[in-house]
Amino acid sequence: MTAAVAHVEPAPGLDDAFVVAAEIVAGHDGAAELMVRLRHGNGALSSVTLDPETGFDLLRAAGASSLDGLVGQRWSQITRGLWER
Amino acid sequence: MFDILIKGGTIVDGSGAPGFTGDVAVQDGRIAAVGATVAGEAHRTFDATGRIVAPGFIDPHTHFDVQLLWDGAAKPALEHGITCVVPGNCSLSLAPLKAEDRKGLVGMFQQIEEMPPEAFTEAFDWTWEDFAGYRDAIAKTLQLNVAPLVGHSVIRLWVMGADAQKRAARPDEVAAMQALLRQCLEAGAVGLSTSFVDVDENGHPVPSRFASFDELDALCAVLGERGRMLQIVPEFYATDITLARIDQLAELSIKHTIPTTFSPLFDNNGTPDNAPRALARVEEQFARGARVWPQMQTRPIDISFSLLRPSLFFSRLPRWVRVLRLPLAERLAALANPAIADKMVEDAGPDGGMAMMGELVLRGGDAAPAELAGHTLADIAAERGESPARALINLSLEHGLDVAFLAASRGHDATDRIGPMLASPFVHIGASDGGAHLASFATYGDTGYLFSEFVRKSGALSLEAAVKKITSDTAEIWGLKDRGLLQAGKAADIVVFDEGAIGRGAERPQFDMPGDGMRYVRDAIGIEAVVVNGQMAWEGGAYTEARAGRICELA
Repeated sequence: MTAAVAHVEPAPGLDDAFVVAAEIVAGHDGAAELMVRLRHGNGALSSVTLDPETGFDLLRAAGASSLDGLVGQRWSQITRGLWER
Repeated sequence: MFDILIKGGTIVDGSGAPGFTGDVAVQDGRIAAVGATVAGEAHRTFDATGRIVAPGFIDPHTHFDVQLLWDGAAKPALEHGITCVVPGNCSLSLAPLKAEDRKGLVGMFQQIEEMPPEAFTEAFDWTWEDFAGYRDAIAKTLQLNVAPLVGHSVIRLWVMGADAQKRAARPDEVAAMQALLRQCLEAGAVGLSTSFVDVDENGHPVPSRFASFDELDALCAVLGERGRMLQIVPEFYATDITLARIDQLAELSIKHTIPTTFSPLFDNNGTPDNAPRALARVEEQFARGARVWPQMQTRPIDISFSLLRPSLFFSRLPRWVRVLRLPLAERLAALANPAIADKMVEDAGPDGGMAMMGELVLRGGDAAPAELAGHTLADIAAERGESPARALINLSLEHGLDVAFLAASRGHDATDRIGPMLASPFVHIGASDGGAHLASFATYGDTGYLFSEFVRKSGALSLEAAVKKITSDTAEIWGLKDRGLLQAGKAADIVVFDEGAIGRGAERPQFDMPGDGMRYVRDAIGIEAVVVNGQMAWEGGAYTEARAGRICELA
């Protein structure tokens, strides 16, 4: 059972991925982890699961106060902020 | 005269054949006879009427390496019906290890497996360096059987020293590793374990992660001399990489004629196609002649946390995210500030957080009053006359934030999907991590849960199929000679249990680790007797004095 999520479908670009959903999942070690779903420019969907520290860093890099704030953001942009920390 | 005669039980012999009422006779550590009626007298007769008599269960993925040095039963594993464990997984074993490298390895064990430091400093005399020395150290007091792996990280450490965590090995170093691995296999190691994901206490990749594929290939050549197992931890959180690792394992398996296994394979509610994709690839590779066994655990994954550390559990709640990311002193001050706490409670929703937090369970083993352990936050909040969100904050504040909460079954919990996967002939039931993650969750009771959830409740497996999965299948996969079947001549590892009751108890804290350390455990339910190598090892809720466990002989 995972937390309820916000789903938003932005108009996809040709060569970039946007966050369409973010939810909490159980990590194998019992920690809550962040799973981000991405829609790519070609319409494909993928997901990325982040450990707690990286998940919080992503929220901060994205300027998001909560999970909902990640939705609709460009993946390359928020992760650039992550690597630059 | 037989040593033990188990009479009148339903014999489920581990082969998958239908159970039948009959007797099992034990003599000199072996099954002497199995049949509808076994005539003869015995020193000890055990009435198994109305009970299942099965081979002892085998747990293929554990980290009991340290615990076995002071606890030959790997408690509570034995009382769950487990008569054989495989320690040394995930690239980490306690040998071969030079004395000067012990501190570094202990750090890795602590980081990855959450073992307390006292486990390494107080509980045993570290007298060995080679694998035979470790084997002899644990063999003295074993109450269950052990088939130990040797860790790739420690092999690299032995040969390369500190460079093991800096670079790939030179050819001469690879040759030295091969010779060392050969020695370990000759001393009884069941195979080699490696990891592609783990880090040490400093966040640095463990030594095995610096190995080139050629190095792993060279070590697999040595495994192939004896047909021994390669165990890996793949990048299990990324399905595409896991698929690539399956392909790699398949190439190694075919080239060197070895069995391989990877752990863990999880089902994911958010991406339910991930596990089936991996299993489809496994099935393809089996069709090519490879042996790549994915290990899947039976138990669901819980989320646990305290407010001592930021948890993503609250990441939908902006004010909680903001407060919990504060340094500890500021966090305490913020939580204690009524205006801030009010806003946090408001964040949790008009129901005071009931939907999100009401089912959280207080775990115990922390600073909270012991009598609250096992109670839901909803119940505790009602007693206190508070909303669940308010109770969570206040309870945490009252005990220095050292109050552990658990959100049960938040992952790998879809019985309708997992059951058929566990039943698949291509899935190896394991990945328990027994003896690790001590302060995070209980790694015991997976075998009981297999029966309670996937046999009784969902019917995904028959009783006979479930027994086969965790006995003869495991013994065959790992090459454990004469284990896993109730047949004449086989080792007399036997479990007697109540089919209608077998399960796992609630998770609870227990302070029995060295240094009075806490770990979470689960009691066994429905296990009546456990025999190891022909001696009664556990009966009527208590361990016996028997020390009949052995280092497993390999086929």
